[in-house]
Amino acid sequence: MSQAEANFGGQAARRSSSGWKELWLKEDWWAIWLGLGIVLVGLVLFQYGASWRYLAVVPPKWTSAGQLGVHFVDNWLRYLVQFAFWAAAFAVALRAMGRSARDFLFAFAFVFALSVVVFVVGQWDRANFYGFEAPLVALILGLAIANLAPLPRSLDAGFRVELYIKTAIVLLGATVPFTLIIWAGPVAIVQASIVSLITFSVIYFVAKRLGLDRRLAATLGVGGAVCGVSAAIAISGAVGGKKEDAPIAITLVLIWAIAMIFVLPFVAHQFQLPAGVGGAWIGTSEFADAAGIAAAQTYADLVSGTGAAAGTSDQAVLAFTLMKVVGRDVWLGIWAFVLAIVATTRWEKGLGRKANAAEIWWRFPKFVIGFFVASILITAVTADYALADFNKTVNPGLVAPIKDLRSWAFIFCFLSIGLTTRFRELASAGLKPFIAFSSGVAVNVVFGFVLSAYVFAAYWTNLAP
Amino acid sequence: MSDRAIVRECRNCRHFRNDAAFLEQLFKGLTALSSADASSRADDGLCLRHERILSGHASCADFSAVEAAAKVA
Repeated sequence: MSQAEANFGGQAARRSSSGWKELWLKEDWWAIWLGLGIVLVGLVLFQYGASWRYLAVVPPKWTSAGQLGVHFVDNWLRYLVQFAFWAAAFAVALRAMGRSARDFLFAFAFVFALSVVVFVVGQWDRANFYGFEAPLVALILGLAIANLAPLPRSLDAGFRVELYIKTAIVLLGATVPFTLIIWAGPVAIVQASIVSLITFSVIYFVAKRLGLDRRLAATLGVGGAVCGVSAAIAISGAVGGKKEDAPIAITLVLIWAIAMIFVLPFVAHQFQLPAGVGGAWIGTSEFADAAGIAAAQTYADLVSGTGAAAGTSDQAVLAFTLMKVVGRDVWLGIWAFVLAIVATTRWEKGLGRKANAAEIWWRFPKFVIGFFVASILITAVTADYALADFNKTVNPGLVAPIKDLRSWAFIFCFLSIGLTTRFRELASAGLKPFIAFSSGVAVNVVFGFVLSAYVFAAYWTNLAP
Repeated sequence: MSDRAIVRECRNCRHFRNDAAFLEQLFKGLTALSSADASSRADDGLCLRHERILSGHASCADFSAVEAAAKVA
């Protein structure tokens, strides 16, 4: 009996979350309810001349501790209200998914307090000079705490990386014109498909050449090609992977994804890639949404802080999101279905398992729907505004507060990545899986760069939110 | 309830575990960049008998209904 099994008294529950139950049992749907809820309330407030601004307080750019002190004396109540808002919203979601709301609230107080610190550091006017981009500060702080000063396990209840990042991506949709998604989406799909197929093929065939099991090869391949740990778990389930396959994939994805958070933005900066091109490259070559957003936001901060590359910070995050979420994530169900067919008809015939086309929908990352709907809503409501009116009225009254709330959700996520990454707990991946996965990483990074910086550079450079 | 009364799929089998909190404890590091509550996992879980990750809708000859196990216990 495993430790996890023992912790559950040998009777860990079975729970079906398929069908309509998914609407309240899966975090993708909760990201939609929370994200779209914020957008819809924002729209109603905007119609009545109000906004989320009171709640969406953020630390200002600062040069001296005195300035900060004045800000917090004047606005401490707003921070408390914002904490209460996020805490209540996420607690309801987690409670519905069967988690303990009490454990979450205690842990989230810790996350929120650290987030204020990270936000403050990121807003320092010398932050860029010293390389203190907020995502990196959050990640390093989280990693240091998790690995040097182990926290009580109960705090894990508040480190919900995926819930935070998915909610943030839905909110991101509210800042993106739907016309832009229509314009750039097909390019993202073409580029992502090319790189995904190549990356999968390299990892799969290298793994096979090294003598690894086909199911592990497929799990690693899609983990590298599509969306990291989530893809690896999904494919492992689709092909009937061994119990030890998933931990190997988790270790490899995590190590490479965290390394790439540091590597990709700084290499892009060295090449002075335009913001959109850098974001597209990161979207093609990072392995998970959360890690990728951290890398893209770091590059956005580098671009806006140093002015060394063309474009705006929004372009980096937007290009990343289009490439990663629209170009790669949405195809996970199809990868799972196709590999399930191969596994059940060629690898393990006669076991009674069958591929099911419904898997394409079951595994679809539903939060993407929220991203699209948020974009459509804001685009439709603001369609009649001239650019000058949009900048004068819509932006400060509707879009900017949503953007600030999104920034908080990003920081919760970046901190949580660090706080949940305990290197000593990760399974040993073994040399052969490491070689196979790393081969895919190398090819992915090079092809992603060539396609982003040369083949489709015109699209990504001119991506204008 | 007898074996015949329920669908003979892993999600109804006593060897199968797919609770999200359980999977997150079992697979260390899973929550760093993913989550067992994600739609992408669907109803997948761990078969304790075969030590494999399987869809909740899979099935095999070793199926043993949850309710039957409870009676035995």
